[in-house]
Amino acid sequence: MRLKLGRAVRGAVVSTMAMSLMASSVLAQSVDLSKWSPEYVRSISGTEEYDTVGHCNGVVPTDYAGRLTFWYQGVFEGDPEVMRQNYRDFFDAFRATYPNIALEEQGITYNELLDKFRTALLGNAAPMAIRLQILGGTEFAAKGYLEPLSPEDVGYSSNDFWPGAMKAVTWEGTTYGIPTNNETMAFIWNADLFKQAGLDPDSPPATWDDVVVYSKQISEKLGVSGYGMVAKQNAGNTPYRFMPQLWGYGGGVFDEADAAPTYGEVRLNSPASKRALQASYDMYVRDKSVPVSALTNTQADNQAPFISGKLAMVISHPSEYARMLELAAAATGTDKEVADKVVENMRYGLIPTGPDGKRAVVFGGSNIHILKSEYVEGGKVDEQAAKALICMWTSPEWSLKLAWSGSNPGNLGGFKTKWMKERLDTIPFLDVTTSMLPYGIPFPALPQAPEIMNIIVPDMMQNALTGSMTVDEAAEDAAQKVEDLMGGGL
Amino acid sequence: MTSMTNTARHTRPRRKPVDGWRWTGRIFLVLMLIYTVVPMAWMLITSLKGGFAAMMYPPQWIPAEPTLENYIRLLDPKDTIGQDFLRYFWNSLWVSTTTTILAVFVAVPAAYAFSRFRFPGRNFLFFAVLLRNMFPAVIFLVPLFILMRWLGLVNTHGSLILTYLTFGLPLAIWLLKGFYDNIPIQLEQAARIDGATRFQAFLLIVMPLSTPGIIATAIYSFIGAWNEFIYAATFLNKNEQMTLPVGIQRFFSENTTDWPGLMAASFMMSVPVVVLFLILQKYFVRALTEGAVKH
Amino acid sequence: MNTVTGQIRPPRKIEPVRRNVLQTAWSHRGDYGYVLPAIVVMLIVIAYPVYYTIDLSFFQTPPGLQLRDKKFVGLDNYQAILSSGVFWKVTGNTVIWTISSTVIAFLLGLGCALALHREFVGRGVMRAILLIPWVVSAVAASYVWKWLYHSDFGVIGAALVSFGLADRPPNFIDNINTVLPSLIVVNIWREFSFAMIMLMAGLQTVPDQLLRAAQVDGASAWNRFWHVTFPHLRGVSTVTILLLAVANFNSFIIPFIMTGGGPSNASHIWITHIYEFAFGRQRWGVASAYSVLLFIILMTLGYFYVRALSKGDESRQG
Repeated sequence: MRLKLGRAVRGAVVSTMAMSLMASSVLAQSVDLSKWSPEYVRSISGTEEYDTVGHCNGVVPTDYAGRLTFWYQGVFEGDPEVMRQNYRDFFDAFRATYPNIALEEQGITYNELLDKFRTALLGNAAPMAIRLQILGGTEFAAKGYLEPLSPEDVGYSSNDFWPGAMKAVTWEGTTYGIPTNNETMAFIWNADLFKQAGLDPDSPPATWDDVVVYSKQISEKLGVSGYGMVAKQNAGNTPYRFMPQLWGYGGGVFDEADAAPTYGEVRLNSPASKRALQASYDMYVRDKSVPVSALTNTQADNQAPFISGKLAMVISHPSEYARMLELAAAATGTDKEVADKVVENMRYGLIPTGPDGKRAVVFGGSNIHILKSEYVEGGKVDEQAAKALICMWTSPEWSLKLAWSGSNPGNLGGFKTKWMKERLDTIPFLDVTTSMLPYGIPFPALPQAPEIMNIIVPDMMQNALTGSMTVDEAAEDAAQKVEDLMGGGL
Repeated sequence: MTSMTNTARHTRPRRKPVDGWRWTGRIFLVLMLIYTVVPMAWMLITSLKGGFAAMMYPPQWIPAEPTLENYIRLLDPKDTIGQDFLRYFWNSLWVSTTTTILAVFVAVPAAYAFSRFRFPGRNFLFFAVLLRNMFPAVIFLVPLFILMRWLGLVNTHGSLILTYLTFGLPLAIWLLKGFYDNIPIQLEQAARIDGATRFQAFLLIVMPLSTPGIIATAIYSFIGAWNEFIYAATFLNKNEQMTLPVGIQRFFSENTTDWPGLMAASFMMSVPVVVLFLILQKYFVRALTEGAVKH
Repeated sequence: MNTVTGQIRPPRKIEPVRRNVLQTAWSHRGDYGYVLPAIVVMLIVIAYPVYYTIDLSFFQTPPGLQLRDKKFVGLDNYQAILSSGVFWKVTGNTVIWTISSTVIAFLLGLGCALALHREFVGRGVMRAILLIPWVVSAVAASYVWKWLYHSDFGVIGAALVSFGLADRPPNFIDNINTVLPSLIVVNIWREFSFAMIMLMAGLQTVPDQLLRAAQVDGASAWNRFWHVTFPHLRGVSTVTILLLAVANFNSFIIPFIMTGGGPSNASHIWITHIYEFAFGRQRWGVASAYSVLLFIILMTLGYFYVRALSKGDESRQG
């Protein structure tokens, strides 16, 4: 579990990240994003105390009586225990702080949340407030289901949140939600497999082209899969793993990777985008160095081979990492040896860059929204109750605790709390994912984005990888589909 | 018996009993058994593994460290999932049983009417009833949701019961109609000559004779309701209301899946229906043999 | 009709005036009471959704607008569907899927029913075990089979490799050519027990004396089956096949959970494709038009189906 960034890379982190941040030209009030680095994050942790209850009391008095229905992506058996505990603590704390608000919270599984929400809206049976993944919100804002909501409404400042996150909750100039947490993924590899294949066990592939090379070397020498590609259609994590590749090569769906995107021009068939798709093709078809099941795999399907030492590299979400550690720790008997070996050999580092050194990762996370009254079950939204909950959820303390093992606080103040210090000490993997945050590029903030990301992009990959179309054709076809979609066609 | 064989000896020499077919039959059955059992065995084996062991490749047929922890967790009232599982179980039981009882009450008279009576629109209505079987569940999700909302049934078991009723009705009505078609009308006529009303004749004479059909209807409805997933997932949003197939979804997180837990839950979900079915199917087939269907 | 047998033939009289439909209906009003609950339930659960779907099929629902702000586009949706290449591919898949699943499940069910017809030791147990796939939840079964088929660490692949039948685990559900057959295998696994039960019950109606007589006459097993057994099974077979066909045409869970229609649309059947339009792409108008097309096909098939049933009916009523 050693972190190995190397001084050169650290320098690269600071400078390239500074470039992408400066472009958005907003400095956070409480945290200096221009200095972002693991050391900086460490230095500011534990430097401030926040009084959550006191603050929220100023927004909505603690004796307020009301009722609130609330949906969120629940944490269940597949999630680490510490997460489940933190969620329980939150709801207990909320009820203790606001004893007269009748809260009906409902945790819904990740796979079902979006569909259930859409169906509920169609039947005017939606909850009053909801916490949704970052890709989901814009669609509902565009359709007019959401009330305007910004951090100022609960006593925080928009400057206390990541610029990219604020972009994702803004539609046509109005803000419709507050970021609760943000995360980026990192690159995990198995040092032992690297060593056996003749690669340096402690450094990840620097560029995506290197990933192709490493993958080939590993699969040729060892007979196991190199890189854990995922290409399943309509499964949330496919775009999270392909887009970094696409952006790294300089491509994109539109110009979302640029400093001030306008989403005017479709770039899915640009030469850079085609190169990115070609890399996937090379891995899957030419070298056969990735799992054959990539076409129907979600990231969850990559964990088993990785843990068994049959897969060398994956792009991993922080929560997965925590889960794998938890599983390994619970192994018994003969499995324990294998488990310990796996844990010992897990390394993590930054996501590879494109050939031009461009490093990109999806800026992920969740946002919390309030609905308009007419779509809600019961016909009336209790705004004060909703604000009370949101104030607490997006406070520095809770936005950190509720993102403990899987994410980072949306409210930048969370980085200064003492709990952040504790977290950094106990979960070193976070150093990497936290430091990747500035490279985060949010998905286009368009209502068409879910379809583009979940269907058109994976379709493109599948068409190319199965050989139904050539790489060129697949990219052109996908670009055409995006054009049609944006133009309002079928 | 003996006289038969003696007679047979006097005609064409008795061919050897069809050994070829019998052996084919046996091999075929064994193959089918393997085909049937392997996935279930795999489900069971996976459910006995710990989380880490379940992810090993090559997959182990005999778990090195078999454990009952997944099952214990599901039944442990102190664990949140234990409490939830029990609640889901109870909900499923409630929904399935109510659906079944109502299905019988609705299907039996309708089947009788289609069998015995000739009234205008009979064929059309019969066609319409069977037609329900043809509409794919998925297509109606949103309009049914809206309808249930209008009826005030969202998040209640009533919405499911109402919907599930229509799943089983076509087959039930057809099946029962078949039974009634085969029951000689003379029985009812005899009863009516003795002074019974048509309804009494139906209730006291005909219905009991169709017991196997009723049982078949009950089984079909119950199993259909028990296993149904899509509508339950759409109509129910509150944890307290959820049925088993929906509850099982919680084993799937965004980035990880708790396979052994999922398999254990699936297994436990299957046990009641399998047991019910095994008990009742023997009765059903035996009842058939005892003569309701013979002319 | 039947109610008059056994009574004294009425004396010849002038034919009564033909009553119109309403009068006949009124005189049978008690009968309607028997079917009323069934009709009411069906109406509630079917009428509104059908109306809604047909209505929505003439509109377009872009991602930026709420559903109620939909735009009227007439028959555009239908035209778009029928002219898209993917639709015809999916149609082909659906036909293959439905026919293969139905025929093979029926044959396997028939085979099992025949094999289990005779008493032998362990028959009850075997019969019980063979019934299990039908009873198990389709969702759980899909996940288990998905794992069994897994291209990299599935059990089937591992078994084939260890028996030396293949170098690498074969590619079942990630290959556009083998995915549909692989899913059909799973579908059959779930369904053959249903055919088996129906046919087992049907076999009970075959008179033993006939079979024995045929055997005494020296008829081969095949002839006995074809000429004695099978005719008695005709009614049950027809219904079983039709029920299976309809169920297969609409079966959603297995393809949806195992492959989601992929890879590259190779395992999309109509119903999963409709789901993708509706819930994946939020194209409610198109999905509705698609559904209407599905209804029309099914209604046509259904008409012939019920006619076949009724014919069998009439001939039995005699």
